[in-house]
Amino acid sequence: MQVASPLPQRQPSSLAFPKLAMLMEERTLVGAHVLTGMLALLLGSLMGPFQTFRRSPFVKEAFPDLQIPFFSFYYQALTIHGVMNALFFTTFFIVGFTYFITQRSLERPLWNRTLAWVSYAMMFVGLALVLFAIGSGQASVLYTFYPSLVAHPTFYIGLVLLVVGSWLVGANVFMTYAAWRKEHPGERVPLAVFAAIANFIMWIVATFGVAVEVLFMLLPLSLGWLKTTDPQMGRVLFWFFGHPLVYFWLIPAYISWYTMLPKQVGSKLFSDGLARVAFLMLVIFSVPVGVHHLFSDPGVSSVMKGIHTVFTFVVAVPSFLTAFNIGATLERAGRQRGARRALDWLWHQDFGNPVVAAQLAGMILFIAGGFSGIIQASLTLNIALHNTSWVPGHFHMTLAGAVTLTYIGIAYWIVPLIRNRALWSKKVALAQIYTWLVGMLIFGHGMGAAGIAGVPRRTDLSNAPYVNPDAAFFLNTSAISGVILLISLVLLLVNLVGTLFFSKEPVTEGAPVDTVGPAGSPLWLERWGLWVGIILVLAAVAWLPVVADALGTFASPGYTPFVPNPLK
Amino acid sequence: MYIDRLERYWIYAVAGTLGVFSAALLASVFIFGVTLPSPVGRVDPMQLDSTEFATPGLRSMGDNQYTLHVVAKMWQFDLGQAKGKPAEIHIPKGAEVTFVVTSKDVTHGFYIEHHDMNMMLLPGQIAREKATFKKPGTYHIICHEYCGSGHQNMIATIIVDA
Ligand code: HEM
Ligand SMILES: [Cu+2]
Ligand SMILES: [Cu+2]
Repeated sequence: MQVASPLPQRQPSSLAFPKLAMLMEERTLVGAHVLTGMLALLLGSLMGPFQTFRRSPFVKEAFPDLQIPFFSFYYQALTIHGVMNALFFTTFFIVGFTYFITQRSLERPLWNRTLAWVSYAMMFVGLALVLFAIGSGQASVLYTFYPSLVAHPTFYIGLVLLVVGSWLVGANVFMTYAAWRKEHPGERVPLAVFAAIANFIMWIVATFGVAVEVLFMLLPLSLGWLKTTDPQMGRVLFWFFGHPLVYFWLIPAYISWYTMLPKQVGSKLFSDGLARVAFLMLVIFSVPVGVHHLFSDPGVSSVMKGIHTVFTFVVAVPSFLTAFNIGATLERAGRQRGARRALDWLWHQDFGNPVVAAQLAGMILFIAGGFSGIIQASLTLNIALHNTSWVPGHFHMTLAGAVTLTYIGIAYWIVPLIRNRALWSKKVALAQIYTWLVGMLIFGHGMGAAGIAGVPRRTDLSNAPYVNPDAAFFLNTSAISGVILLISLVLLLVNLVGTLFFSKEPVTEGAPVDTVGPAGSPLWLERWGLWVGIILVLAAVAWLPVVADALGTFASPGYTPFVPNPLK
Repeated sequence: MYIDRLERYWIYAVAGTLGVFSAALLASVFIFGVTLPSPVGRVDPMQLDSTEFATPGLRSMGDNQYTLHVVAKMWQFDLGQAKGKPAEIHIPKGAEVTFVVTSKDVTHGFYIEHHDMNMMLLPGQIAREKATFKKPGTYHIICHEYCGSGHQNMIATIIVDA
């Protein structure tokens, strides 16, 4: 039976914006961002398996001279790994994906295409400068670049270009939305764009912290304009940014799970309203939690550590909401595929479709990683785990697992659209996804167990005078996962190259993008000014006391990673 | 906004669980006395020689209680050991040691294997925590924050005598 919808439905203007064939301009812009991101991922991740080898006692005995490709210095390779994966891959990919959904959902071009290319150029120059700085051995400071270690100025200039470029992206997206809003008063913006806007609001607030750190502390120190710096203040400013950063990565994955996966599995999202609430909670509560990265810092008061822990539990709520919402959506899909008994729907899923399988595999890793996250956020347990290899174990299941696999799933439909050719091989894609899943599970377990045994992270164990013998087994299983993940990376590379250069088939599937928001969800959810206000108030309450505590510490000169004497 | 009944129960369950977590946390702090490093003082990293860190090392405070002053620097822990000697101290079984630690140059870490001791060491900040060593054995102090090219060598040893 047909039920009249309460609001007149707008007809998608499919002629102006064809579904399958992307406009050439759109393809180049989205393609440039997505492919630059994938290149950064491949380059950065290639170091990962070799890091696991260098950390394995077995490998040390069998191949004592093993080096990481391109690098002989462990920490230089680890800097490439962290910076390329965590900062450049994510940012480029997110921008490309955000441009895609904004244009497609709102059925209009970006507010200003020239600006979009200007911001791309800035970010790309940033990438080149950072690669130069690390590659030439002058920036082996890891992706957190804590003072008072100092890198070459090009490293910081590159990061500034990345961040400022991404601010311009945010402005472009906001203006596109504002133009749409003017023409569509009273309509609900599609969920994907709702979340993308929320994400860039959070990003701009959060990057403020790191921008202050780089522009006013590190860059002047590295140029010699300042003689000293304050490491505690540096860490405070960095982690003001560092936690929202992880949600900046996660939200695009949630966008895919909430708005695309339902269509990809032939189901319907269980609740659009609660999805919006979840996104808003993520964005609002991601800021007053960053001190949970500073539990072991002597310059931060215990009271603030406690307050940030409680907010950390609050920011877990939207992920639980997501688990329910997506779970219910998948149950519906499973029942349609013939699941009968209570939990049957869990395995009646479309595990043979790479785009779906990548996201489901990501979710499996996210469940494991999410629980390990709640454990380490409990400040008293954190004492046992902070800076041990438990921590990389955790975020390779969330960031390198759930987020990266979902992005790879997106790449498996968006790269074909960009190229206007079908994915080169579904089989290779499936093999890539399942090796990644298995690899990351073994990796996460091995690193987690080694961390509990007391193995530090960010440490070149192959050159260490002592490695806890209890951890040898787990360091070796991590190295096995390194082999599996190396295979997975090669499969990913082969499929991307195949799709770009050798695929002959035409694309058959379009992008699953909504062009209208559901009439039922409350309009007050789109009062952005209110949300920005709340974020700023929370940020002030949660961070001003921490900043005040750190103020007035004695100054410390800068050091390079190689010489134990202060820079002149 | 419409919220499904089952979903509402789920929200209650999640809120309840996180409430229990918060309670467990408070209990660990107030009942079991777990502590975190928190501000205890500052020191000029360029002038350590004119402070309590001028002569790092173990000091007995009587009654099997000790303070151990440590200066972390690229890339060793200075526990007051003689030049060229390993960074190693002996303490008797059951000793309660207050670690008073700072960094002379960059950010370091202070982690004791098999012991809940985990502090960041920042130039300018003093870190202080207590630990009791009930079981005889060898405990490694490990620098667990990257501090430059010799980071992996930054290890010291506490030997608890039987
Ligand atoms: C493909 C397989 C991968 C392997 C085998 C791998 C392995 C590793 C290992 C062993 C470490 C710890 C090194 C140490 O602490 O000494 C590490 C650190 C890290 N990885 Fe991965 N990784 C992989 C992919 C990724 C991906 C896809 C991402 C993100 C998108 C990522 C992000 C990071 C980050 C941010 C760090 C921390 C770097 C630091 O501590 O400075 N990794 N990885
Ligand atoms: Cu150190
Ligand atoms: Cu170190």
